[in-house]
Amino acid sequence: MMKIRLSQQVIVFILFVVLFVGFSAFLPGFFRSNNLLTLLQNVAILGILGLAMSIVVIGRGVDLSLVASLSVPAGLVLQMVQYGHSVPAALAAGLALALAFGLVNGWLIAYADVPSLFTTLASGLFLAGLGQVAFFKIDVVQWSAALDGLAVIGRGTLFGIPTPVIMFGLASLAVALFLKSTRLGAYIYAMGDNPNAARVGGVPVRPLIVLQYVLAALIGAFAGLVLAASINSMPTRIFNSTLIYDVILVVVLGGIGLSGGRGGVLNTIVGTLLIGTMLNAMTILNLSYSAQNLVKGLVLLVAILADSFVNPRNEETAQQGDI
Amino acid sequence: MTGPVLELRQATKAYGGVPAIDGVDFALERGEIHALVGENGAGKSTLTKVMAGVVSLTSGQMLVDGREIQPRTPLEARHLGVAMVFQENSLVPSMTVAQNLFLGQEKYFNRLRGIYIAAQQFLQSLNFDVSPTATVSLLGAAKKQMVEIARAVLHNAQVIIFDEPTASLTPEEKKYFFDLVLELKRRGVSVIFISHALEEALLISDRITVLRDGKHVVTDMTANFDRARIVQAMVGRDLSQTVYGRHKETVRPRGPRVLSVQNLRMAPMVKNNSFSIFAGQITGVFGLVGAGRTETFKVVSGVLKRDFFHGGEIVLNGRPVRFAVPAAAVRSGVAYVTEDRKVEGFFETMSIARNVYMGFLAKMGGKRPFMLRREAASIGESWIKNLNVRAISKDVKVIELSGGNQQKVVVAKSLVQEPELIIFDEPTRGVDVGAIAEIHQLLNRLADEGRAVVMISSYLPEILALSDRVLVCRQGKVVEEFSALEATEEKIMYAAIH
Repeated sequence: MMKIRLSQQVIVFILFVVLFVGFSAFLPGFFRSNNLLTLLQNVAILGILGLAMSIVVIGRGVDLSLVASLSVPAGLVLQMVQYGHSVPAALAAGLALALAFGLVNGWLIAYADVPSLFTTLASGLFLAGLGQVAFFKIDVVQWSAALDGLAVIGRGTLFGIPTPVIMFGLASLAVALFLKSTRLGAYIYAMGDNPNAARVGGVPVRPLIVLQYVLAALIGAFAGLVLAASINSMPTRIFNSTLIYDVILVVVLGGIGLSGGRGGVLNTIVGTLLIGTMLNAMTILNLSYSAQNLVKGLVLLVAILADSFVNPRNEETAQQGDI
Repeated sequence: MTGPVLELRQATKAYGGVPAIDGVDFALERGEIHALVGENGAGKSTLTKVMAGVVSLTSGQMLVDGREIQPRTPLEARHLGVAMVFQENSLVPSMTVAQNLFLGQEKYFNRLRGIYIAAQQFLQSLNFDVSPTATVSLLGAAKKQMVEIARAVLHNAQVIIFDEPTASLTPEEKKYFFDLVLELKRRGVSVIFISHALEEALLISDRITVLRDGKHVVTDMTANFDRARIVQAMVGRDLSQTVYGRHKETVRPRGPRVLSVQNLRMAPMVKNNSFSIFAGQITGVFGLVGAGRTETFKVVSGVLKRDFFHGGEIVLNGRPVRFAVPAAAVRSGVAYVTEDRKVEGFFETMSIARNVYMGFLAKMGGKRPFMLRREAASIGESWIKNLNVRAISKDVKVIELSGGNQQKVVVAKSLVQEPELIIFDEPTRGVDVGAIAEIHQLLNRLADEGRAVVMISSYLPEILALSDRVLVCRQGKVVEEFSALEATEEKIMYAAIH
């Protein structure tokens, strides 16, 4: 039992190494510094979203509205600057929107007791719709020159590494610090492990749930700004893409159990690398978008299946030692 | 046909290497009522779960009608004619009686009228006074049980297992239930009957089997038993020398009044409950199932949500309080140690040290924005030593410990919060004998230190051995108070029942 649980993250890492070596050997053009940097750059945004999702999943929830948190607040910032508002005002508005969105999500889940799956499914749709109807003129909001002071978070390279990758690294450090070294991080693990025990022990469970979704929304908005800076615009239709499945894939494949309380940032990073390798190889192989979805769907199903085997929650384990 | 209808040979079932039952031989004759008794954790439930196909044997044999067979699911067991009536009802609350009876047996076209008529005839043939069109959630405990029994008979059960069937019944309902069991016997059905109430076992059964620590102790005709012999077989020694110790001869004096509860109400479990708790004493709280003990103290400690709080006054150290969440109670020095440690006690993926540290963090709140690894380790280690938790290291996961050691961790998690009022709900449930003595010593130590200790227990010897003061609950309120010097098992039980 113990051994399997410890090595789950190692298994995924080995899988990553095997795939990586395999692709390097057999896939022309894969193992080139150019391609590898592209690979990393492509998954940096996904990785940051994966961090947000990790926080929520460790606390026994799920946030399907992350892609809306990615596109709408950042899109709002770009749009306001385009309209001639000052950059600080635009940033404040985007931040406020993300904050409010996280609070609403958290309140619905913690205090109105709506399951997180349905809450975030609906609220994400609402936020994306709100953006389309009220904020954005056209589907792709362009990056204005006035924002160029902010472009460092997503554009160019630092010591040869693309900035989005560096941002992913910084976000990873911050989230790892939060989860592993702060009291609130410890609370989130406790809540994910056993919400009843956490509550009885004096952990403020409901405010903590709100905190999770606020953090997720803020990290999502940050990812949105990084994305906008790196591609010079915000394609707000990204909400209609399959990005959210990739985010779930990162988390589950990395070994953060969907039953909560398990895993950490390292799992997210390993999961991100694995997905990045997979996506990159499929692109080089020139698989069609639909075929890629087929593969991703299959991998996700297998990963969820493996998760429920490795982290079982059936009656027998629940009664271990209970006579 | 002669020979036992159901037999277990050298039955062993281990959970994570720890045997819950160990080499048990058990035989059930046709048409007999067989009582199964033993302390908490003696293996009664596990034994019957094996028969009912809920869990599978680790080793050993099971024979039904002399044929070796091992049901792997409750459905397979049902096909073999073994049905179990669980402590918790396994009926679908929103369906009618008739729908529940025929659940899983519906014809392809499920005509409601048809099953109502069939159910009506069937219930009448059993002489059960239940309407087939009644919704199950609206029925009382006894009628629900009737439906369960009827369903078992309908499925042609040859063996019906009852797990604590009378726990939630009123005395009249109990009498009715016994008539039902006797009726089943007349029909040739064999009944296994798990009970903590020895009088019931003596009254109704033909044979009694006593289990202790997962092992078979004795099986004999009921006529050859009396209460003393059963108790002796259950605990394995004379009661006066058990871990529960002798009757108290001195009691601790009352300290200041820590908690005062006035007219606390919480429908339907707590009705105008009033009592006080004093520092420097162990207050034992006794009551039968349904007396509202746990609910009362869960309201006091904020564990039960405020929605259920219907009124009354709680005064803690002279200050009226109304805790909406346990976090507020913890900060005010009130800790509740749960009776169900798996559901609301510990964090199974975390180490011992981390579990204890979580309790510490919850109490410290904003004073500890960051976790200090060294502090976590030292707190964990000192509590492991303090409570004598037996584990290879402080980093062992709690789920891998024995019941007694798990309980110590749960207790440590609360004690690290330095509560002034600490409520133990069934502190020794599912705990091995050695750990019981240690937990009792700990309770005494806490009271000697001047803390207010509340011990809710359903086990009279435990109440008598530890309490300085005994509160007896019945139907949602404290009805009687005894000093430990005047309390006897008979007096307490009399107050709890009548």
